[in-house]
Order: sequence, then C-alpha cells, then structure tokens
Amino acid sequence: MATHRADEKRFLDERGSSGPLAPNGLNPATIMEKPVRERIVDCYFWKDQCFAVNEADIVNRVVDHVHFIGGTYGDAQRPSPFLCLAFKLLQLGPGDDVLREYLEFGGEKFKYLRALALFYVRLTRQAKDVYLFLEPFLKDYRKLKRRGRTGTSLTFMDEFVDDLLVKERVCGTTLWKMPKREILEDLDVLEPRISPLGDIEDLLESDVEEADGRNGREDSEDDDRRRASPGSEFGEVTPERDAMDVDEGEKEVANGNDHDSS
Amino acid sequence: MASKKGAYENTASDTDFRKKYDRAEYAQKAKDREAKEKEESKLRYEAKLAGKKYYAPLTGEETLTQARASRLDVSQNVGKVMLMPAGAATGKKGRGAGFYCEACDLTFKDNLQWVEHENSMQHLRAIGQTGEVKKASAEDVRERIERIWERMQEEKKDDVKTLGERLEIRKEEEEKDREERRRKRKELVERQRAEKEKEVKIKKEYGEDVRVEGEHDEDDMMASMGITGFGSSKK
Repeated sequence: MATHRADEKRFLDERGSSGPLAPNGLNPATIMEKPVRERIVDCYFWKDQCFAVNEADIVNRVVDHVHFIGGTYGDAQRPSPFLCLAFKLLQLGPGDDVLREYLEFGGEKFKYLRALALFYVRLTRQAKDVYLFLEPFLKDYRKLKRRGRTGTSLTFMDEFVDDLLVKERVCGTTLWKMPKREILEDLDVLEPRISPLGDIEDLLESDVEEADGRNGREDSEDDDRRRASPGSEFGEVTPERDAMDVDEGEKEVANGNDHDSS
Repeated sequence: MASKKGAYENTASDTDFRKKYDRAEYAQKAKDREAKEKEESKLRYEAKLAGKKYYAPLTGEETLTQARASRLDVSQNVGKVMLMPAGAATGKKGRGAGFYCEACDLTFKDNLQWVEHENSMQHLRAIGQTGEVKKASAEDVRERIERIWERMQEEKKDDVKTLGERLEIRKEEEEKDREERRRKRKELVERQRAEKEKEVKIKKEYGEDVRVEGEHDEDDMMASMGITGFGSSKK
C-alpha cells in the first residue's frame, strides 16, 4: 500500500535529492521560496491541520479553513491556509486523476478547492498541460476573496486563472517562467485557443459600444455571467494582445529560485 | 513477656496484616526487566554511535497515522480545578499544570509545544502508529467530496429561517413518512399472501398416502357420511 510520510521532515530534508521531481522538472521542495517555506512550516495551522493529511483530507481542510486566497497576510506575514495547503500538495504530489477530481467534480462545488488545484497545476505541470488544465476555467466567474499584506480585495476565478497564466508572482510564490502560448502554438504543441469572447481581431477593432453589446448577449447565454464593465472586458483580453509580440521568452526557462543552495 | 500469646489468645504478630510477597517471582521479574533495559540501552548506544536517533523497534501491530478529525482542543481544561503534585511546575515529566499527554506521560506548557509533541515520532510510536499516511486514490477523493457535499446540504436544511421554508420541509417529511407507511403496508400484505400460498401448496402436496394417523379422521368421517364440507374454503 502506498503511503506518505505524515510530517514534512523528510520532504524538506532530502531537497529533492532522492524524492520524485514535479512533472515540469522542478524540485517540489524548493518551488516555494525559502522564507515562505519556513513561515509555513512554523505556523500553527500547518502543525495542527496539515499533519498526516492525504489527498482526500485536503478536501476537508479546504472546505473548513480556506476562505480566501493569498500568500502571506497581515503585518506578521502569516502564511494563509491556502498557501499551507498548496505546500502540502507539493509534498503529496497528487497525480493528474486526483487533480481532475479537484478541478472538475470538486471544483464545481467548492471554488477554493478549484483555485488551490489551479495554483498547484501552475506550479508543477509542464507548460502544455498548464494551458490545457487552466484555460477551461477562464469561463468560471465565481467570486474569490483575496487577502494580501495590506488588506482584502475581491477577485474572480477567471482573473485568478489569468494571473496564473501571465503574472510572475502570485500568492507569495514566484511562478516558473512558462513559454508563451504563441510559441507553443508555433511548435505545434498546442492548438490555437478559441476564446468564448470570439475572434481577437474583431474584438480589437470593435469599439466600446459593440463590446457592450456582446456583453449583453453573453449574459443571456450564461446565467451567472458577471456584469463586467467595458474596461475590464478589455482588461481581460489585454494579456492576449501582449502575448502577440513573441520576441522574448524564446525558450522554456525554469526559474532558478535556489535560495537555499547554501 | 512470659508467653507469646497476646491479649486475645492468638499468636498473631503485629505485622501479619501485611501482604506476603513471592520473592522468587519478583526476583525473576526484576531480572527480565534489567535484561530488557540492558538490551535497549545497548541499541540506544549503537544508534548513537551511528549518529541516529533511537526508536523502539516496531512490533508489526502499528496502525497508519490519520489526519486529525478536528483542531486540537486547547480549551478542554479551562475552568477546571485540579490537584497538582508539588514540584509539578518544573520539567515536562509526569502530570502537571498544562497540556498532558497520557501516552507519553509528559506535560506541555503551551499549545505549540503540545502540537509539536503530538506530531513527533516519539508520541506516534507511543500510541502505536507508524507515522505514515495512506495515499488516497482519485475514487477516494471523489467519495470524500460527495460526502462533504451531502453533509453541507444536510446542514443547510437544518438551519431554515422562514415559516414557508419550514412548512416546505415538514411537507416533504410527511410525504416521506407516508411513503414509508405505504411501503410497509404493502410489504405486510405481500408477506401474508405468500404465507397463505405456501400453506395451500403444502396442502396440495399432501398425498393420500402420507396421512398422519388421526389427522384427517374428521374429514374421512364426513366424507363417509356424504358431507364434503360446509362450503368454506377455510380449514
């Protein structure tokens, strides 16, 4: 019978020397930065609620304790339960089938479970899989609470997914540098993505009124489609326009957050 | 003293009430214990030489560790008055003021120390656990999600606020009750009918030649008198 260690000591001790690597070739024990890692291991939530947890217990913990996403919060920079459980997932290293349960079956019911699984996928999976896993959830418009060092703010699942795809730092973790979608498309690794909003050229040509009109139609199609202002509508597509210029990030570069190489 | 007899004319000495010990048995026990301790200290020494920490060898009966079902209850002794032995304020050993661990006989002064102890290998071995957790499969995860979802739906049903909602739930419950009763009644009728059919079948199977002496005398007599019955199917 396959087992995990109940505590994290061996996971942190070995530093990936003998443990399995993540599918994208990174060492799961060093994906998060050392200061954050130490805060997590020191915090009471980790000791109390993340001890002897397996893949199924993660669901319980998320439902009971995760009420916001975020890295470290407050003046004391306490690590959020979200971050602690993400670290636990790094230790457990769940397979794709378990992640699919988290994302789809569990994600429909518990939004923070989906957010956690998305975050974990972004940290550990290969670029192609990250795009394939994450993009379907750009259509999830549920609200999420985000808590940062200064305060709490409102965000949405699709914004969170977009952050994961284009930003460098999310939830107190530096994300490894993924090749742009266009590059993967040129290499025939990925099919071009068809946005639910329609063709990108049309969208850029159209003015604000037209964008509004499209919004209305989307609303009738999708009940829980949130009302977005025209500005945010454009904000949603800006990253894709950014992604058009393909002069940088030619090859896949894994980020070297080897702070603890000493 | 002239005689050994006391005032009550018996020979009891004043220490006779004490328990008589089987010295040989206790000597054997002490020997065993000392041998075991010696063995353990040897293993400890060897572990120390090898630069490792000593753990008692596994017996093979350890269970897997499981996640805590709830948070550690740090407030269970709040408001209680307890008698403490003198000197309980220093050191961890034995029962004292603070969080007491029954299995390891240690007392901790704050919850961080306590939870660290609860997670420690020393404690896990003391309560007979291996410190390993079972890996959950995708099916386990799905089943867990379903269970949590159902539990949440139940809870949601429990805390209703308005009269309308309450009436709705009451109606549902009554409907369920009625359904249950209907089902029971149907079952009863079914069972009775089955029993009756069985009886009839047994009666039919009874041939002429397997008659029990005297059982059908009455029928025979009636038959011989030309009466076959009173038109009743009942017998």
